[in-house]
Amino acid sequence: MTSIRDTVARFIESEGHRVDASPLDEAEGVSELLFRTRGQVFSVTTFEKNPGAFTISTAYEIPDWARERGQNVETLARVNDEFPDIAFLMAHDDGLFITTSDETPGSPEAFTRTFWERVARVRTAGARAVEEIVDRTESKAAAEKFINSFMRGEQ
Amino acid sequence: MSDALTPIEGALEDEGLFFTRDDDDDAYRVAFKSEGDRYFVVAYRDDPNFIMIGSGWTLPAEVDTFDALDIANVLNVRKKFVKTALWEEERDVLFTVELCVNSAEEVRPNFGRLLDVLRDTAAEFFEELRDDEPQNGSE
Repeated sequence: MTSIRDTVARFIESEGHRVDASPLDEAEGVSELLFRTRGQVFSVTTFEKNPGAFTISTAYEIPDWARERGQNVETLARVNDEFPDIAFLMAHDDGLFITTSDETPGSPEAFTRTFWERVARVRTAGARAVEEIVDRTESKAAAEKFINSFMRGEQ
Repeated sequence: MSDALTPIEGALEDEGLFFTRDDDDDAYRVAFKSEGDRYFVVAYRDDPNFIMIGSGWTLPAEVDTFDALDIANVLNVRKKFVKTALWEEERDVLFTVELCVNSAEEVRPNFGRLLDVLRDTAAEFFEELRDDEPQNGSE
């Protein structure tokens, strides 16, 4: 019988993409499939013991200048309100964040039917978060707050 | 042995995509899929500066060709790089990026962008067609 991992890997390959499959936990039957699309590497996790559940993830690097701003976790939480079906997680000493969608379509066949829509959803959520993180208008707001305070003689 | 489309093969490798070659006496051809959609790249043996990247789709039977032409015209005005054309007899719509280059190596770093714009143009074309469809029950 074909494994869940191989079923999904064959589907992605049939759609034109090279797939790198590796076990994450052989005893539990957990595997990771890596593939590229639109210049971004995505990871799909499959669970042999739970054939109806999958995760789709991708990582985005945060530019050096934006890493020290302190509000990136809050920014991700704000974007999470907009994309409640997507999880956002800071990683690698805040140098990148990961967007993940937990999928429970019920079967590998159902998963593959909406696969690219779900990949697009994860990508859109990640792109939105990047847009918010590199948005410098917050700094402008901070400057305006200082100027207002300065003009009132509080500084 | 390398030829006019060898850099395109490199670009497809960069993108993590499978591809096949289908050369003949007139042209070099590469075919590939991305997210399940089919694309091609063509370079003519007698015109080493010309490269075409494209995708083709069959128009649904219920689509009015004049509506499709209108949308194609709007996209041709608005979109960078991409030419949208209807082949009326075959009822096909073709999206192509046609470039004049010294070498396909020039295309390689921009291949992802060109693929995106092809994909987006096709998506917009069919979205506009759907928006133009008369709603059920309406006059």
